Amino acid sequence: MLNWFKRRRKEKASYETNEEWIEALKPPVDERAVKLLRQQLIRGLKPALHKYVDRELDQFVEDVAQDALLKVLDNIDSFRGESKLLTWAMKIAVREGLTELRLKRYDDISIEDLKPDDDSREVFSLTVAGNEISPDRSLHESDLVDKVMTIINEELTDKQKQAINALMIQGLPVPVVVKQMDTNRNALYKLVHDARLKIKNKLEIEGIDPDEMLNKL
Amino acid sequence: MELTPDILKSLIKSAQMAADHEIGCDECFDELHEFAELELAGKSPAEAKPLVKDHLDKCGSCREEYQALLEALRAIENGN
Repeated sequence: MLNWFKRRRKEKASYETNEEWIEALKPPVDERAVKLLRQQLIRGLKPALHKYVDRELDQFVEDVAQDALLKVLDNIDSFRGESKLLTWAMKIAVREGLTELRLKRYDDISIEDLKPDDDSREVFSLTVAGNEISPDRSLHESDLVDKVMTIINEELTDKQKQAINALMIQGLPVPVVVKQMDTNRNALYKLVHDARLKIKNKLEIEGIDPDEMLNKL
Repeated sequence: MELTPDILKSLIKSAQMAADHEIGCDECFDELHEFAELELAGKSPAEAKPLVKDHLDKCGSCREEYQALLEALRAIENGN
């Protein structure tokens, strides 16, 4: 009963400012504010996600808005007011929706399918060790391949090799590699960034100009 | 499987574009709402937040989320 009175007292006709939104979304939450925010999220999510969803868009968007709302309410204290609250909440909702869609997209792929087979796991060392050059490849090109492979083999950690192999050589989508390596997108990005930097710095140390390399390919 | 010229090119380009300081997906997400509002206001988010712009240029997943966010916010602005 007491909560009901508190909620009633907090209800407002409109929520114009961030302060009003924050006040309404902090516990005890103002249900009217939650309802309004849900409506706004749904209005934005539909046009933003429709091209990714082939059926039951309305239901999907409502589920996403509900999940996003829970995150917004849980994290309302972290909102620092650098934008409108709706922009911040929409950012959370859009990521929620696209993350869900990406998970669904790769749902059918079994863990077994995601494991690289022995050949692909060994792709770096095999290519270097075998040094098999197609007859139609120019000498320059085979030299460049050797140089890059040597750098990769000597400078990168096993995890960096696995990530570069999966993303750039096998061309697997990021969500699949994230699952395969039991990591998250942020950590994978940083892993690959460190690997790219190592390759760049090693090329520089060896006096190899990347532009020149690219021109030869 | 072998390193084809196309793969080699993308590897070299990707290394060439590596900057000493790049932010990750989490840091980009932390600033994405501000970045989006600057863009919608016709200001220059790339100048105000060059590291976010750099990350969006290099990360397809974050770029996809940013485009969807802009679309959602524009729809609300236009009263859809």
